[in-house]
Amino acid sequence: MILQSIELNNFMCYAGNNRFDFAEGINVIIGDNGYGKSKLYDAFWWVMYNECFDTNIKKFRKTNLLKRLIVSDKAIDEKDEGVITASAILTFHNTEKDSIYILERRYSVRKSNGGLIEDQDSEEIVWHKELSYMNAKEVAEADQIARIKRSIMPDNIKPYMWFQGEQVESIIDFNKSDTLTDAINVLSNITRFDKIIAIADELKESSTKELNKKQRDLSGDKGKSENLELARQHLAERLKAAELQDLQIKDNLATAEEKSETLLNKLADAQKIREIEAKRKGIELNLSEVQQEYDAEQKSLHRRMFTNKWVLKGTEKLFEEYGHMYNAFEHKKLQNAAQIQARLDTENSFVKELQARLPIDVPEPIHVQHMLDNERCLVCDREAPTGSPAWLKMKELIDRSQLKIKTLEEEENNIHDFSSDLKKLYQNGLGLSHNIANVDDDIASTYRRLRKLDKKRKSLSEELGKIEAEKNSMIVDASLNVNQATNLLNEYSAQNELAKRSMNEVNSNANIIAKRKDELSKIEADLSKLVIGEIPTYLQEKVKVLDEFYQVAHSTRKRVFSKLVQILEAEANNHYLEMTKGNMSLRGIIKLKELSNGKNYMPELVDEQGNVLLQLNTGNIILIKLATIMAIISARQGARDTDLYTLITDAPMSVFGEDYTIGFCKTVSKVYRQSIIMSKEFYKNTALRSQLLTNEEIKLGKVYLITPSIQENSRSNRNSLSTNIEKLN
Amino acid sequence: MTKEEILRSYLEDDLLILQGYLKEGEAQKYKWSSPAANNLIEVVKIAIEGELTAESQNVTERKINSFLNK
Repeated sequence: MILQSIELNNFMCYAGNNRFDFAEGINVIIGDNGYGKSKLYDAFWWVMYNECFDTNIKKFRKTNLLKRLIVSDKAIDEKDEGVITASAILTFHNTEKDSIYILERRYSVRKSNGGLIEDQDSEEIVWHKELSYMNAKEVAEADQIARIKRSIMPDNIKPYMWFQGEQVESIIDFNKSDTLTDAINVLSNITRFDKIIAIADELKESSTKELNKKQRDLSGDKGKSENLELARQHLAERLKAAELQDLQIKDNLATAEEKSETLLNKLADAQKIREIEAKRKGIELNLSEVQQEYDAEQKSLHRRMFTNKWVLKGTEKLFEEYGHMYNAFEHKKLQNAAQIQARLDTENSFVKELQARLPIDVPEPIHVQHMLDNERCLVCDREAPTGSPAWLKMKELIDRSQLKIKTLEEEENNIHDFSSDLKKLYQNGLGLSHNIANVDDDIASTYRRLRKLDKKRKSLSEELGKIEAEKNSMIVDASLNVNQATNLLNEYSAQNELAKRSMNEVNSNANIIAKRKDELSKIEADLSKLVIGEIPTYLQEKVKVLDEFYQVAHSTRKRVFSKLVQILEAEANNHYLEMTKGNMSLRGIIKLKELSNGKNYMPELVDEQGNVLLQLNTGNIILIKLATIMAIISARQGARDTDLYTLITDAPMSVFGEDYTIGFCKTVSKVYRQSIIMSKEFYKNTALRSQLLTNEEIKLGKVYLITPSIQENSRSNRNSLSTNIEKLN
Repeated sequence: MTKEEILRSYLEDDLLILQGYLKEGEAQKYKWSSPAANNLIEVVKIAIEGELTAESQNVTERKINSFLNK
């Protein structure tokens, strides 16, 4: 079945009439995020299944929940009154039968008096045209419509043919035991083998019961047989319980192994992130200590002005000068003292001389004053005018009475004496002179220490920056943050512990099962010994055949499943190699490893020697899953004509990036006869787009570029939004 | 898989060779219409037939039982 076209009328962002024609090969719709790729994917899905994928809740929602969201806002806005209908029409060409199927879905809203009346649900119209007879008829029966849709896309293949990029993780979830069974069922209906196992199990049990009953009937000691039968039944129940427990333990073991395997891919990254984080914390702590020390040193600098006498820096000369001045002062002081003493000595000798001429106060000063006042010496009765030598001599007598012997101490007491202060200053200076000599060394040593701390601080800061960059890069590459890395390591350790414990339990339970089987065999042998007479041949044969049937049913299912897994693995490897061709960073072989419970499989990338290549990132895992999805389809092609279904996928390449885009397109064009892929990878990268359009290994269908009529950042609402469709080839 | 292919996948089991029901390589040539060589092969065929015709498990079991009770 080839999808010829899709027509979109007023469907979501596709306002007005829009059409995409498709051809065989890979058809690509190129557009950036928010340009309408997902809405186009929605349109395909909506026509077929009456629902659209809601990316917010990651679920499909029916039309009756979406209602007016189906209809273009522009179409609603432009209409004043009346009905606005959104529709999407898919036209399929059945090349085998040379007929056309046209599937249309419509949904309408009515604008009336400014209000909007929404239809409850959509309407589906299907047409069938037989080209050779040139006739067309509407298909009315629901069963027939369902049949047509199944022929377009069978339910079991649908998950692997029509999917969103973000669904790839869940389509192939190797942590679910039925993921691979579902996939294998697409290749070959393995559940048939399961159903035959159920028949074999039931028949084996019933035939064994029948045999046991016959043995009891033919027993020579019916009482003993009954007792043995009770013991047998009891033991059989215990054996069954132990076997059930064995399955549960193996399931636990498989789950732990799967989780460990999954975690193992990121273990090295997680360990590195944890190591880097520990190192980062160490450096951060060190830096903080150094910074504190540096800050403290900076703050104590001004205190050192006084505590370490830095304030005296450069005062050596001052002190020296002061010393000189002080010495000079002391010298001068001594000289002054000598001079004063000399003067005093002169003055005192004069006083002494005066005292030798007349005794002090003779004549009495009152009489001398009287004589001075009268300007006449009454002793010699001569005139003594004021200022005359005689008058002056008389005055000397008055002055003499006031004169007395002076001492140096008295003289010195009369002047301000700072010498003791100056001496103290000198002595202090003398005491500090030792410190002054060390101030420069002390300052130099302190600044050396500061510079050393600053250097260390800067170096640690630089180291911290580098390690943080390394950490961030690791976080981005591994898609793990520090907490997730720590949790992952804890989880890995817990799962390993659980796996170890489960393994011990498996061994211990295996011993119990073996022991109970032995006991059961003994009881059955004892029961046989009690039989007198002959067990009918048909019954013996029946028990034997059904036991063999039981064994064959189980082993065949296992063998067929393993073979299909091998086919799937081989096909997946072909696609994986094709997609990763030219990229040396991703090499390896996909190995679907069977887990302990024999049901679950885990994908591993191994080298040629079978060594597991660790460190699978999300991109690797998605590539492996896409390779597996393609393998499911391509492995099936050998058996059936399943290449007649169209792959429709939205953004399947977004997870693994542009390096693998061309490889993916090549592989897709080989595996699928027709595919429709929505991609943003070719939007900005024009070189990649050019490769797509010219690469001869890609069987190319139609390529379209879609752009919104108004960019998202230039519009406040979607009332004028439509989508431009440009055909690129 | 056709019913013949399903049957062959059962007949490829080692048990059939070990028990001497089939010789090496015989399974691949075996046809659905080949005469029944032994009861086990016949039981397998009844089971496959039942599964492919979507009959209930009980019916298939009854058919096998009645075949083996003869």
